[in-house]
Amino acid sequence: MQPAPIYIVASPRPRVGKTLLARLLIEFFYSRSRPLVGYDLNPRESLLAERFPKLVWPVDITGTRGQMELFDRLIADTASTKIIDLGSPLFDHFFSVVREIGFIQEARRLSMEPIVLFIADPAPATMRSYAELRSRLAVTTVPVHNESVSLMFAKEDFPGSGPESGLIRIPRLSAIVRGVIDRPSFSFGAYLDRRQGGPTEIHEWIAQIFNEFRDLELRMLMGRVNLSLGRGGRREDQSAG
Amino acid sequence: MSKPTVIVVGADKGGVGKTTVARTLLDYFTAHHLPTRAFDTESPKGTLKRFHPEDCDIVDVTSVADQMRIFDTLTSADASVTIIDVRAGLLSPTLRALRDIGFLDAVKKGQLNFIIFHILGSSIASLNEIEDTAAFAVDSKYFLVKNFINNTSFFEWDQATHASYFRKLKDAIEITIPKLNEMAYEQVELASVPFLTFVANKGAKGDSANYSFVLRGYVRHWLGNVWGEYDRIKLNELVASSAAPAQAPRVQAVGRS
Repeated sequence: MQPAPIYIVASPRPRVGKTLLARLLIEFFYSRSRPLVGYDLNPRESLLAERFPKLVWPVDITGTRGQMELFDRLIADTASTKIIDLGSPLFDHFFSVVREIGFIQEARRLSMEPIVLFIADPAPATMRSYAELRSRLAVTTVPVHNESVSLMFAKEDFPGSGPESGLIRIPRLSAIVRGVIDRPSFSFGAYLDRRQGGPTEIHEWIAQIFNEFRDLELRMLMGRVNLSLGRGGRREDQSAG
Repeated sequence: MSKPTVIVVGADKGGVGKTTVARTLLDYFTAHHLPTRAFDTESPKGTLKRFHPEDCDIVDVTSVADQMRIFDTLTSADASVTIIDVRAGLLSPTLRALRDIGFLDAVKKGQLNFIIFHILGSSIASLNEIEDTAAFAVDSKYFLVKNFINNTSFFEWDQATHASYFRKLKDAIEITIPKLNEMAYEQVELASVPFLTFVANKGAKGDSANYSFVLRGYVRHWLGNVWGEYDRIKLNELVASSAAPAQAPRVQAVGRS
């Protein structure tokens, strides 16, 4: 059985494109008819849950009940791909709970692979948060370069957790086009299927990002194959998470 | 015959978490495969017995018959470690009784290991207890336990006052029991099983249970920290002369079924 990934879209900074990336992931897996469930951990403004009310649950993890609602559900459903949109105010709290309850080890024991998609930016605090996350939690971490947030990306500041993690790049969109994709009714998958009048900037943008997701899935698959063949080098779940 | 160990867990003040500490000790020795028996002096109800019914008997430690049940069987019992959970108000009388029956003399002669876990509350009264208790603890290992499990803040403990009490006890060692998530604590209470059994997601009879993964995670993490304190004081080695030493285990999902 293939491990069902748990994508955790995270950054300690607000307004860097977390919900956009979570939206893209949901539409990518939805368009591939994958069993899918999302969790919106933005208690004040659940934009992802509002956009996908049948797929995404808003959860407030500041209390134990909310944590049970999230983590108990995550481990109960081993078949679905999960996407978590982690609000920046809860970044530290979320990973602290994950570490304390041993979530990464339990997820892996149940053949699920948590993958943190960390949206990078050049702020020193973000780099520190990334380094801390890497040192404190043995989890697959994939840096994401959102060109709308920063044009420059120093790969050495955000090393992936292994050779399979690589990098996800979200190309910059023009401001007008950005307005289009932010419309509440806009769907990436549906738009990609419509090619009336030839590919547009949005078509290319969506296609490029979806390709990045396919590459990531492939890299993760290869990582698992290498691991099973004893060529994986390291798997970072050996230490306590 | 190996040397038996008696561990008294007590405080003169109530509600400071004596039974919780006794439960963590029973789990610790279970995980170390050290045969342990326990006596619950909270007669007739017996909170410790509710969690560890197979390992625990309820006794009235002030009655001679029950004193004989405990102390006359120290060398003949299968268990090499005996834990006595002394109910509130009975710590000093129990220690006096131990002196009177010659138990403390046997400890002095090296025939028995004696360990006291004195659970402290946040009040000055708790500090006053230390002086009374310490008088009986000359030949024992004496541990002062600050129990934060119920989020106790030791606000009444002025640093200078605290230091003045602790200076008097050159051999006493402080142990800290960290706070446990309230909901997790409540769920273990409702389940009425040992902490280890809860972590292993088992019921009282070893059957599968359906406890929250999050709450089990909190309990496992907390119990790991508590055992970290017991490892720090080398508790396993302290009782090792009475039983074969075991490797320090990690808290993991293994039940008692």
